[in-house]
Amino acid sequence: MKVSVECVGCGQCAAYCSFDAIIIFGRASMNENCIECGECVKYCPLSAITESI
Amino acid sequence: MKAVIIGAGLGGLLAGAKLTKAGYDVEIFERLPFIGGRFTNLPYKGFKLSTGALHMIPHGSRGPLAQMLKEVGANVTIIDSNPIAVIRKENNEIIAFHDFRNELSLTKQVKLGTVLSYSRKFKPRSEISFRDWVLKYFDDEFLFKLADSFCGWALSLKAKDVPAREMLEIIDNMYLYKGSGIPLGGCSAVTDALSGIIRSNDGRIHTQSNVERIIIDNDMAKRVIVNKKTIDADIVISDIGHFETSRLYESEDLEYSDKISNVKPSKGIKICLSSDEQLIGHSGVFFTPYAQRINGINEVTNADPSLAPPGKHLVMSHQTLISDDLEAEINLGLLDLQQLFPGKEYDVLLIQSYSNGWPVNRASSGNDNGNRTPVENLYIVGDGAKGKGGIEVEGVALGVRNVMAEIGVS
Ligand SMILES: Cc1cc2nc3c(=O)[nH]c(=O)nc-3n(C[C@H](O)[C@H](O)[C@H](O)COP(=O)(O)OP(=O)(O)OC[C@H]3O[C@@H](n4cnc5c(N)ncnc54)[C@H](O)[C@@H]3O)c2cc1C
Repeated sequence: MKVSVECVGCGQCAAYCSFDAIIIFGRASMNENCIECGECVKYCPLSAITESI
Repeated sequence: MKAVIIGAGLGGLLAGAKLTKAGYDVEIFERLPFIGGRFTNLPYKGFKLSTGALHMIPHGSRGPLAQMLKEVGANVTIIDSNPIAVIRKENNEIIAFHDFRNELSLTKQVKLGTVLSYSRKFKPRSEISFRDWVLKYFDDEFLFKLADSFCGWALSLKAKDVPAREMLEIIDNMYLYKGSGIPLGGCSAVTDALSGIIRSNDGRIHTQSNVERIIIDNDMAKRVIVNKKTIDADIVISDIGHFETSRLYESEDLEYSDKISNVKPSKGIKICLSSDEQLIGHSGVFFTPYAQRINGINEVTNADPSLAPPGKHLVMSHQTLISDDLEAEINLGLLDLQQLFPGKEYDVLLIQSYSNGWPVNRASSGNDNGNRTPVENLYIVGDGAKGKGGIEVEGVALGVRNVMAEIGVS
């Protein structure tokens, strides 16, 4: 997944990630657990997450 | 009468509950998969964290929000904190909040009484900040630090960025309503109760429904476009602040556009901790004026143990964002916690930061632009249009009350 500069680090995506794949520290970043399921996208209040291409 | 509400945050839900009760046909559209916005629970590792708020209702069971919940029949139990707040002094000693006066010299204590009662009656008309206002009467380091700690906790601002006028309104409300409390079940107890009321009055709430456009005709909002569908409206209430709302339609009112683009949202960092033993021991605010960054902390499991797994405590700190270096700011907050609770064991659960489009407060206090827009039947509620002297969700309730008065709903 790709996280844009809009991300503020609220952590909502991390809470709803079933794979413990999102680290929050001022902003979100995905770790190696991420399977690109895309579930986090809809939980971002700023539409800052998109599928990586 | 058909009311369309943009956003199912606290402001939108309060407005929706009031309007369905008054017989309006209400339809609420929320972009996210859940309702509540920045005032609902965020399930995390068995804890009930929150999307925004620290599970705290500033004026507790007697404040404007509690009053409005009663009016609409929303059944929420608010546990009033006792003590309401304490202050951690430089030497680690902890004193009750209302005893802060004892830290001043006798002359300053007397002066504080006089200055406060005079200024509450005759609020400064100038733009003087709360910091400069304190400085005008007192040269006292403890008072400065306490002012910053209080403004940081309650408003996510430094005292130099809060108008003294607004702060004195807040002090008035503190005398009037007292404070603070924790809703049993956390933030979502409030927002879920409201959605229950709306639905039982035949109102509709749609999630994953993004409002893309407001269609204006003859200076009136006629319909909204949601996920490409058109919905007619007699009145539109927006819970997303003036600026975001104005991007959904074209306005020729340049003065308004100018005014609302100058509003600055307030930024902050919340650190959520898990601990086996109590770190604070009550559910009131633990003010930390001598910490480098952290303004205050609460331990909500003392009011409602169900907010953490059995045997655990949920502790949350709040700090205003001072510099733009978010990582450095977080590290200073973490360092503060180590120094505030030396020798105590706790785990950092989640560090949440808020700014720009998802802030602590959409319009920082004293910066609100009222609830009206250039469009007659389009109103703004929520923390981008709070009522005077209203801290956070209390301000949201006061703003909704203003809008209801404008449209004649009691
Ligand atoms: C870290 C932090 C700590 C806080 N602590 C406290 C506290 O302890 N006590 C307190 O009283 N307050 C606290 N607050 C403030 C409080 O959380 C907010 O004031 C309050 O939740 C704001 O509610 P709202 O309805 O104005 O906005 P929101 O909750 O933001 O609601 C707006 C809703 O609109 C939706 N939306 C946006 N755009 C669209 C669109 N185009 N179409 C459809 N839907 C849309 C959003 O997804 C959102 O759900 C805190 C805030 C933060 C961030």
